[in-house]
Amino acid sequence: MKEVTLEIAEKMLEAAERWAALSGYPSSIAVVDKAGAVIAVHRMDGAGPMTTDISINKAFTAVYSGGPTLMLARAIDPRMLGPIIGSGGLGLLTQAKLRLMFIPGGNPIRDEEMNVIGGIGCSGVPDGVGDISDTTVVQAGYTAIYEEYD
Amino acid sequence: MVMNLAMAKKMIKAAIERAEEMNRLCSVAIVDDRGFLVAIHRMDRAPIPTVDIARDKAWSAATFRMPSSDITKFGDASSPGFGFNTQNWNDRLTTISGGLPIKDGDDVIGGIGVSGGMPDEDVAVCEAALATVLA
Repeated sequence: MKEVTLEIAEKMLEAAERWAALSGYPSSIAVVDKAGAVIAVHRMDGAGPMTTDISINKAFTAVYSGGPTLMLARAIDPRMLGPIIGSGGLGLLTQAKLRLMFIPGGNPIRDEEMNVIGGIGCSGVPDGVGDISDTTVVQAGYTAIYEEYD
Repeated sequence: MVMNLAMAKKMIKAAIERAEEMNRLCSVAIVDDRGFLVAIHRMDRAPIPTVDIARDKAWSAATFRMPSSDITKFGDASSPGFGFNTQNWNDRLTTISGGLPIKDGDDVIGGIGVSGGMPDEDVAVCEAALATVLA
């Protein structure tokens, strides 16, 4: 798999939506390409209007940072003290024209060589309430595309 | 009739089929009656800015309850709505054609926006999508 096409994005969305529906929390899910540009966004019935933009920004952030947004959430945590107080990642807050999201629920999509070729983000499922969170919903998206990998 | 994700998916599918027939690379956006995004798809290799333009067109059509190109009439100084351009439009207002309201009878239940082709081609793609709902 070299790039995320609309067909692949739709497959991921379908699997992720099924998983989000299981959680009982309607949510929005977005898939972006390697430029962080939207390929497809779905807002499930009943999900709040705010969740669309948050899911898009989570997916963008995953591509831009090259890792899960969960890791960025860790980076800006004031308890993550470095050798000097303040040497943590708080400066990230000013990056990327305020499009960075520091909430877990955005993961990069990688090809066989581990290059980032896209991102997927979910918003709407609260963390820590049940077994399902935004992060597990986007992980469910990967289950639909395992056939794309050699 | 209320806008939902299933209806939005069906409309987007019809729109993309029509765009493929016309050999155009498009983005298609569907918003609900409040102008909030329900779904967007961007065809493979369609330019990146088409995503936001399609969404803006859908927002403009749904909230003004008229085709996005009709909004230009408010720019006419002899029209009662003149001066609308001084309002805060949340950076979403556009008057480019290619956005149509989705109507159930007289009620507007949402908006569709298409970006990627020439203005009349975008409208044709919108109409192909609307035909699936009204039929």
